[in-house]
Amino acid sequence: MKIRKPDLFQIITYPAVIIVFAIFISMLITFLIKSLPAFDMYGFNLYAKNVWIAAENPDNEKYGILAAIWGSIYTSIIAVGVALPLSIGYSIFVVDYAPKKVKNVLIILSDVMAGLPTIIYGVWAVFFLVPALKDNIMTPLYDTFSFIPLFSEPSISGFSIMSAGILLSIMVAPFASAIIRESYQMIPFKYKEAAFSLGLTRYETTKLLFGYIKPAVYSGMILAFGRAIGETVAVSLVVGNAFNLTANMLAPGYTISSLIANQFGNAFIYGHMTSVLYASGLFLFVIGLGVNLLGIYKLRRWRKNVEI
Amino acid sequence: MKSLEYAIETRRLNISYGDNRVIKDVDMKIPKKTVFALMGPSGCGKSTMLRAFNRILELNKDAKVSGEIRLFGENIYAPGVDPTEVRKETGMVFQYPNPFPHLTVFENVAIGLKLNKLVKSRDELEDRIHWALEKAALLDEVRDRLKNYPSELSGGQKQRLVIARALAMKPKILLMDEPTANIDPIGTRKIEELLFELKKDYTIVLVTHSPPQAARVSDHVGFLYLGDLIEVGKTGKIFESPGSELTEKYLTGELI
Repeated sequence: MKIRKPDLFQIITYPAVIIVFAIFISMLITFLIKSLPAFDMYGFNLYAKNVWIAAENPDNEKYGILAAIWGSIYTSIIAVGVALPLSIGYSIFVVDYAPKKVKNVLIILSDVMAGLPTIIYGVWAVFFLVPALKDNIMTPLYDTFSFIPLFSEPSISGFSIMSAGILLSIMVAPFASAIIRESYQMIPFKYKEAAFSLGLTRYETTKLLFGYIKPAVYSGMILAFGRAIGETVAVSLVVGNAFNLTANMLAPGYTISSLIANQFGNAFIYGHMTSVLYASGLFLFVIGLGVNLLGIYKLRRWRKNVEI
Repeated sequence: MKSLEYAIETRRLNISYGDNRVIKDVDMKIPKKTVFALMGPSGCGKSTMLRAFNRILELNKDAKVSGEIRLFGENIYAPGVDPTEVRKETGMVFQYPNPFPHLTVFENVAIGLKLNKLVKSRDELEDRIHWALEKAALLDEVRDRLKNYPSELSGGQKQRLVIARALAMKPKILLMDEPTANIDPIGTRKIEELLFELKKDYTIVLVTHSPPQAARVSDHVGFLYLGDLIEVGKTGKIFESPGSELTEKYLTGELI
């Protein structure tokens, strides 16, 4: 009888798997350990209060990153809200209307845009998007709707939660539209035929079929949210970087990631700031992990259940 | 008008995909309130022709139709005819049972009615849905499961659900594209029995690749071969004494 030899090829793939796991675990541990002093010092208030006093004497330092948490969530919600109709419209055009050649160009274009270095978006936004939004959107919004708390104060510089949200929407739309487009394209032709055979118009058919891929659209939104909340450089250029806890989206704000990016360089000067920033990172880590897991899980479950 | 004896009439009907002619100069008349079987080996163009009858063929951008198709005397390919109106009058049942998986049994039957605003009240909608399910011989099996999803139904039940979905629109013509091709024998028998009931009120065009099925259920039969209509006539006559050698070969299984 032959003894089965160990599969060498299988074995040489182990290190790769182990390294990935080890990196993930070590990241989590690093963040936990580095955050501990901040938790000791400020407790849960670190996430529940809006205060940022960086004093030379460590006893006078006070930190609470609620405004940044709020800003992260606020900008990401704007991003998803604006990106959703964009990506749905783009997907429908690409799948249903675009001639074959145009279709490929459009798919490549959106894939390229999804992969562009984010600093490109940031710099473009500073010189083009923010001033354009200020003049054409933010000022009119304030002039007309200042009685709504969302637009209660005018934007002075244009650098604001809204600018960050819109910029993020532009950045995550290609990503969300890839998920939506792929799901829409996966719908078996027999359902399209069925809808048309009932005398439905193109619009009615599309609406009906989007009902079918709703779970995929949701997961696209969730994953886009995950991307938006983690985006750093571009956001820190346009969000205004102010600790504002406000519903007014025309006001400058902060996000967790831009807070870390802006403060980390000089955090070592202060007694507790480094640890506070690690604790902020931990928060983002957990949110990002949760959101992405949820989105991936929903998408997988839908793809498994989809009837072909 | 004499042509009104017929539910469907084609005149010099030609259909092509690009340069490939798949239906060639077909002149055919389908009498009202009968089952008309369109048979032929796979690839002969029968499904294509069926899809021209409700203009669903144009979902395929490569398909070109020329000639006339008259439904109750009216040319549906005349300029200005709205294909969605044609489709409302011609229900269709497909080879693969295709109820919408994200809609309940009830909603599946209701969807065409709702979106086309064919009913005025919730009561009318419910009545119509019960009526359609009854007509499709499915009501007794799903009475307690109207709020469930079609994934729970058997293939045969799904297919009858789709028939109910088509009937709910009260079409005049029912187009069926090999409706039993993917159904087990019991389900097939139920659907075939259903055809006898339905032809009292509807004109049914049934595409089939099975001569025995055509013999069992149809009143008239047309034999298509490579895009040519070889023969058309009363089912009994064609099966007893086919007028063409090709038909005879097909019926005896020599032509696949």
